[in-house]
Amino acid sequence: MHAAGSFRRRATRALGGELQQFILRRVGQTILVLFCVATLTFFLVRLTGDPVQAMLPPEATLAQEQSLRQALGLDRPLFVQYLSYLSGILHLDFGQSLFFHQPAFSLIVERLPATIELGAGALVFALLVAIPAGIIAAVKRGSAADSSVVAAVLVGQSTPAFFVGIILILVFAVNLHWLPASGRGGFDHLILPAITLGLYSMAMIARLLRSSLIDVLSEDYIRTARSKGLSRWQVIRDHGLQNAALPVVTIIGLEIGSLLGGAILTEQVFSWPGVGRLTVEAITNRDFPLMQAIVLFLSVIFVVTNLIVDIAYAFLDPRVRLS
Amino acid sequence: MKFRNTRQHRVAQVSATALSLVAATALLAGCASSDPTASSDPSSGSASKKTSLTVAIGSDVVSLDPQLQGDLTSMSVADNIFDTLTVRGADNELHPGIATKWKQKDPLTWEFTIRKGVEFQNGEKLDAEAVAFSINRLLDPATKSPIVELVNVKSAVAVNPTTVDFQMKATDPVIPAKVSLFGGVIVPPKLITEEGAEAFAKHPVGSGPYSFVSRSQAESIVLKANPHYWGAKPAVKNLTFKIMPNPASALAALQSGEADIVTGITKDAANQLGTSTDTTVKSTAGIRTYDLSIDTITDGPLANADVRKALNEAVDVPTLISTVMAGAAKQTPTLVPSSVYGFDASVKPFPYDVKDAKALLKKAGYAKGFSTTLSASSADSALAQAIAGQLGKIGVTAKVAVVDPQTAKSEIITLNKRRDGGLYLMANSGWTLDSVSFLQSVVKSDRRSSRWNNPEADQLIVAGETGTVPATRLKTFSTMQKLLKSEAPFVYLFNVNNTYALRSTVKWTMPVTGILNMSTATVK
Repeated sequence: MHAAGSFRRRATRALGGELQQFILRRVGQTILVLFCVATLTFFLVRLTGDPVQAMLPPEATLAQEQSLRQALGLDRPLFVQYLSYLSGILHLDFGQSLFFHQPAFSLIVERLPATIELGAGALVFALLVAIPAGIIAAVKRGSAADSSVVAAVLVGQSTPAFFVGIILILVFAVNLHWLPASGRGGFDHLILPAITLGLYSMAMIARLLRSSLIDVLSEDYIRTARSKGLSRWQVIRDHGLQNAALPVVTIIGLEIGSLLGGAILTEQVFSWPGVGRLTVEAITNRDFPLMQAIVLFLSVIFVVTNLIVDIAYAFLDPRVRLS
Repeated sequence: MKFRNTRQHRVAQVSATALSLVAATALLAGCASSDPTASSDPSSGSASKKTSLTVAIGSDVVSLDPQLQGDLTSMSVADNIFDTLTVRGADNELHPGIATKWKQKDPLTWEFTIRKGVEFQNGEKLDAEAVAFSINRLLDPATKSPIVELVNVKSAVAVNPTTVDFQMKATDPVIPAKVSLFGGVIVPPKLITEEGAEAFAKHPVGSGPYSFVSRSQAESIVLKANPHYWGAKPAVKNLTFKIMPNPASALAALQSGEADIVTGITKDAANQLGTSTDTTVKSTAGIRTYDLSIDTITDGPLANADVRKALNEAVDVPTLISTVMAGAAKQTPTLVPSSVYGFDASVKPFPYDVKDAKALLKKAGYAKGFSTTLSASSADSALAQAIAGQLGKIGVTAKVAVVDPQTAKSEIITLNKRRDGGLYLMANSGWTLDSVSFLQSVVKSDRRSSRWNNPEADQLIVAGETGTVPATRLKTFSTMQKLLKSEAPFVYLFNVNNTYALRSTVKWTMPVTGILNMSTATVK
């Protein structure tokens, strides 16, 4: 095996060549994807209905409706609105929320830390439980430990967030008074929502790690390492995990996307003041600028996260760069 | 840890970096959020429990600028910070607010006498100029206010420091009721002119019993008692509105003591609170009134008055109330609930009579019944199903079509009146407590929600909307209700109570409008 010094040499060589091309290609794709998302969102949100009608009571006259529509700029031709929207994005101006009368961007930025905190907490919980569970299940395959992990995974994947959340609240907040029932605050406020949100990801990652590790452990090079006299755990640590880790790393990237989406339900149940709840409000109110801004924002986070994961993957595995 | 090769090294580096980034984010975000001003619950802090109250609301306030909102929740919070020209008392009558007297000088002028010595919470004087400014700001299209009730007002003029004239475009007898909420909120002119609307919305200043302290978007709104309030000082010194969109979590918060008042309690929720001595469930008169809108215009069975009467007699309203509504509703003979000005008690509800209903159908030529659709909002799907079941007993097959609440709301005001199908379950909340607000949008044939074409009804609505003599208006409403019974252009149902739950230490009664004004609340 190579000495540590040549790592630097190999990295420099890789970055100057295929890796650089790979990164440029992926960044270009990312920009194209984001443009498509922006356009698609613009037209799709307008299918949800009329925000002006949503804002006014039924007694409003047609004249009042027209006046408000004009004031909000919603009477302009569709293409004009679209161009104004695109040029706004280039200046990082995502428009004014029709309902909250505040810039859409600032509304999202205000709520984003809460969602990130929840997502990060959920991911930490998921990894802390999934990694040991997956390893134990794979190594002790067929045993009682393996069966209980598989069963727990099944429950975690099939139980809906709003059900788990309410049960946790009833048990830990209402009956035991150990934890608060809702809202955001210190670390104690994060525990129940993080568990609720992270349960599905935990199940996914544990399952994937288990099957990935089982595959890897049946490979020839593992048998070779064992026959060389290395202990079982040494083999798993030095050879098994890193190979099993690659597909899991990809899944974690995708899971970040589903965490952002799943946060909507969890945020409703726990009254967590994040972007998920803002999304529900925007859709309920047919708040076009806010809906567009949220979708674009979340798309950027999702796409950029996956871009980073892909680049990390390419860095780790040379076979990917060439494809 | 010893690495056998550079790839192991890289994997370990990447994973370690990623994991520590994630953990660091969670930790930092957690630390950042334990900032006391952002999220701590003041009712459990240094303030004494006796003078603090936490009220759960189902959605965030649209804007703290009272003229940029048009929904009950936002108005509830605003009603604590701001004053209105008139106020609705516990007796459901109009009482003086900022206005001590009011009268219609002539058909196109309403005169309001303004209370002396009132100040905004920042010391600015509240006089006739402030009132005129508030009304004119509301009417200005540039404000983009969703409040529509003052449509007949041309402008407001401060005649002298204690008199404001509303100059009208058309006669409007309901103006005093209309300025008890929404359009009647008085805002500080100097502050808004100097600092702008955005700053005002961020830190609202009114003249009401509570001053604004802080707001955590989507979390809470914190208010404290205004020591210079011109009226009765509130007993509760610290008032927090906490946003809890999920009813089950709100209920859990009530049980654990994190919330003191929770509204919108359903039958299941009331059962869950059951025999607990920590909480009390109250059910008091409300104004939300349900009915079935019938498409009387399209050719078909529903265009026939006898068929419509049959539908009314086939629906067993008392049973619907005792089962679906858990007893928390009161039957309305027509569209007007009993607590509203103009209600005619001599008009009785349709009797529940399946036999007579079948006979009426036969007389109209539909002995075998017919099919139609019954559209409803998803929030009312249980009620819609129950009604469809009852109609089935006389041979009317009503297919239930349920849509989300916003779609339901926009469908009922669409200009294409046939889009709703035959029957539509709808609810009306006329917070002005005047009969005309329960009638005008759905009865007058040129209004967008109307699916009835009756010239006599149209004339009665015009009389109700513009009549200036109270006795004549009452007669108009009486005639209208009799016509609604004889022509049966709707299936009449009931008006729903306001059901809410409180901690047993809290004493407060919800007004009929459902507004969460806490100035009369006390905590033991």
